[in-house]
Amino acid sequence: MKLTAPLERVLRVLVADPAAPHYGYDLMKAARLPSGTLYPMLARLQQEGLVDSQWEDQRPDAGGRPPRKYYRLTAEGARVARLELARASAAASGTRNVAAWPAPGTQGSPS
Amino acid sequence: MSGAWSVRRTCERMIRSSCRHFPAEVGDDRCREWTAELAAILDDESIRSPVLRALRAFAFCAGIVSTSRQLSRPARAGSRSARNEQWRTGAPRTRPGGMAVRLAVGLAIWLVVAAGFITAMRVLGTGPRPTPWPILLVVPLGIGFDAYCLRDIVRAADVRYLRKWVWALICLAQMPLGGILYLTIGRVGPAQPMTPGTPS
Repeated sequence: MKLTAPLERVLRVLVADPAAPHYGYDLMKAARLPSGTLYPMLARLQQEGLVDSQWEDQRPDAGGRPPRKYYRLTAEGARVARLELARASAAASGTRNVAAWPAPGTQGSPS
Repeated sequence: MSGAWSVRRTCERMIRSSCRHFPAEVGDDRCREWTAELAAILDDESIRSPVLRALRAFAFCAGIVSTSRQLSRPARAGSRSARNEQWRTGAPRTRPGGMAVRLAVGLAIWLVVAAGFITAMRVLGTGPRPTPWPILLVVPLGIGFDAYCLRDIVRAADVRYLRKWVWALICLAQMPLGGILYLTIGRVGPAQPMTPGTPS
């Protein structure tokens, strides 16, 4: 699984509360992604068994709104997501802490 | 209130038509999911302005259209052979002839039509002042033909080689020829949900 920036955002939202069900619009708002990015990603995650989906139970107090489909990380998905996110933040902080960067203007040309 | 209602209806129609890319039961499932999401967007209390809500709903629908296109396409997305594979497995059609054959057929039909038209104009317009009624006869025919082609494109589950809107543009720009080219080359068949192997 290649961790792209949008995927990272979705995983962060899902990992923040792994037990909570999220529906699509919810995820779109929380991860700030358009539907054209989110749904193909969810489909891929679901195919790989990292996310599962479930129809909402029709409640009588729902005010007649149609039942939503909820997405949730599977146990495997939560494990993989945590691992990938930890790796990503390690890599990010690693590049930031490089001590041996040349001081500006000492060598090379600014690019 | 009628504005909000028509936004909802238009969006639902967009979602329904993009769900037709999927096999029947998957498409039904997707359609219900996305319609529920649409309702969530349109009833979102946190967005005050109804115009903004409508815009967001349309953006959502555009994403749905591209999503269903991506998901219903097999692995090598975007490549010509992958798209051909899709209708080959999906549409109840035999293998089509090559591009060259179809192009030749289209051109031949167009030539026949053009020759017929020129002959008709010569025969009917021999007088000192050619009467305009052949034109009056031909123009509605052309418009009707174009309308038929456009309706066919809109309703088709998929078209060959080019995107739907490109075919529509070709049909409009090249009055008789574009439509003929579409019908001979671009047309896959009547729009049916793609369920290979299941009797209807």
